[in-house]
Amino acid sequence: MHALLPDLVLMALAFFAAFSGAGRRRPNLGFHASWIGLLGVLAVYAVRAFALDAAPVDLFGGAWRIDRLGLLWRVVFTLSALCAVLLSRGNFQRRSGGREALTQPGEFFALLLFSTLGGITVVSARELLTLFIGLELATIPLFFLAAWNKRDDSSGEASVKYVAMGGVSSAVMLFGLSYLYGFCGSLSLDALAVRIAAEPDHALLWIGVLFVIAGAGFKLTLFPFHLWAPDVYEGSSTPLAAYLSVGSKSVAIAFLATLVCGPFAAVRETLTPVLLLLAGATTLAGNLGALKQGRLRRFMAWSGVSQAGFLVLALAGPAPLARSSLVFYMFVYAFANYLAFFVFAIVARSRDEGFSSLRGMSREWPALAVLLAISMFSLAGIPPMAGFLGKFGLLASAASGKNFLAVAFMVLNGVIGLYIYLTVLRSAWVDRVADGEALAPLESGRRERIMVWILAAALLLAGIVPFLSQRIVQLLSPH
Amino acid sequence: MTLERCLLLAFALFAIGVYGALTRRHLVGLLISIELMLNAANINLAAFAHFRPGDATGGATFALFTIAVAACEMAAALSIVVAMYRRRRNLDLDKLRSLREPIEAEPGAGKAP
Repeated sequence: MHALLPDLVLMALAFFAAFSGAGRRRPNLGFHASWIGLLGVLAVYAVRAFALDAAPVDLFGGAWRIDRLGLLWRVVFTLSALCAVLLSRGNFQRRSGGREALTQPGEFFALLLFSTLGGITVVSARELLTLFIGLELATIPLFFLAAWNKRDDSSGEASVKYVAMGGVSSAVMLFGLSYLYGFCGSLSLDALAVRIAAEPDHALLWIGVLFVIAGAGFKLTLFPFHLWAPDVYEGSSTPLAAYLSVGSKSVAIAFLATLVCGPFAAVRETLTPVLLLLAGATTLAGNLGALKQGRLRRFMAWSGVSQAGFLVLALAGPAPLARSSLVFYMFVYAFANYLAFFVFAIVARSRDEGFSSLRGMSREWPALAVLLAISMFSLAGIPPMAGFLGKFGLLASAASGKNFLAVAFMVLNGVIGLYIYLTVLRSAWVDRVADGEALAPLESGRRERIMVWILAAALLLAGIVPFLSQRIVQLLSPH
Repeated sequence: MTLERCLLLAFALFAIGVYGALTRRHLVGLLISIELMLNAANINLAAFAHFRPGDATGGATFALFTIAVAACEMAAALSIVVAMYRRRRNLDLDKLRSLREPIEAEPGAGKAP
């Protein structure tokens, strides 16, 4: 039972943060409790995932399993939540990007923590019901977070669009899960795996599989279902956009990986073309969408769509390789994306969140422009940034499944990707401010400065010293 | 009552829900369509639990949990509906057009506006 303790601490922390706003004398209590608690839980998860010998623990009659893979995913989720808490602090203290400051920090952090708990439920679940509840717990708090700024029109519009897409996607997924239950006659994933191996051509199975992939596709912003993302990212607040792009996306890919590398492994041959088609179309759509953007957060949304294609590509490989490359890539993606969002948050302190606000950054604050370049090169997958190793792992996973044509197509897409990330850097490094015009000077706080340096160091270290990637592969390889 | 009829009913309900979600321009209409889709899945679960051999309690429990999850989702959605109505005095989805793709080449990447 002690294996469950950190998860319970996280849940208690969420409730504590929710009620911390009730006492008016300590307005910072919720923030400090959230980040210190998250840091502690993150350390416990990291030690257990990387250092200790973690044998799988089954709880609640086999419905909840804590294993090595689950612990690694927990590290990703808590890391993402921790960065989101630290990033959102500034939005409660002052106006940002021309928008009003947010209010009620305690409740905001509580919802972030509940959403993280949803992710933890997804990676622990060994049956369909728990899996579905986890996914909903990860999604529903984000509806409220998107609508946080009640007096802001674009925040309201973003939340309406998000709640509509989220509702439709859960309904589609649930409809698929109901067919999977009908096909198998049991909710357990192990029973489902046995049943699929016995009867791989059953009609109920394939209806279920397609609906489930479509439902997960909404949350992962896969190609035909990705159009909500740019609007929601732009309309909601910067920290929520960052959390959606890293936390919510890693929950969705962990969900898909649980099914595709688990029970669906028996029908991987048939499923692979569908996944490859989705991957190729998604990355191409994301790259094309990002070409002509003028807003930073909208650009990050399209960049996230393009990255989601690479994630799905890795699912076409053999299960151990797919899992380890996905976990490692989500680490790298979290570092790079939060680095970019922290830089944008610094810019948004005194300016509008558009490409034009980046002009002249290389003169005004060269270090910040270098950090932005590190983040963008990592997202594009250029060595020696960690993004290169991450993308290499994803492509290697797909190539081990003998999908060479798809891998070649994705490498070509990577070249377009390099161009779109360079458009950001062109604004920061090449474009000058016109003579008669003055941009407000860049400001930053200590917290933001420390975070950008830590994240950039993590990106470089994980790229140059292949310790992290090799350790993850080693931990997840079958013995 | 046979399993096939229940599945047909559920599928028809789901299709109506999808059609409604695609065509309704009113926010509450959209939420009702989503509710139809969720309930279609519930009929499936109950029908499978009743007619197929296997773990019947699993399906029934799943349907109960779905009802609770749908209630949570609708609570979230309706609170957003109320906030939107207070702000705009209408619930027409077609009027939500301030966030959209740049229509033609924005000043955007590179060029100074």
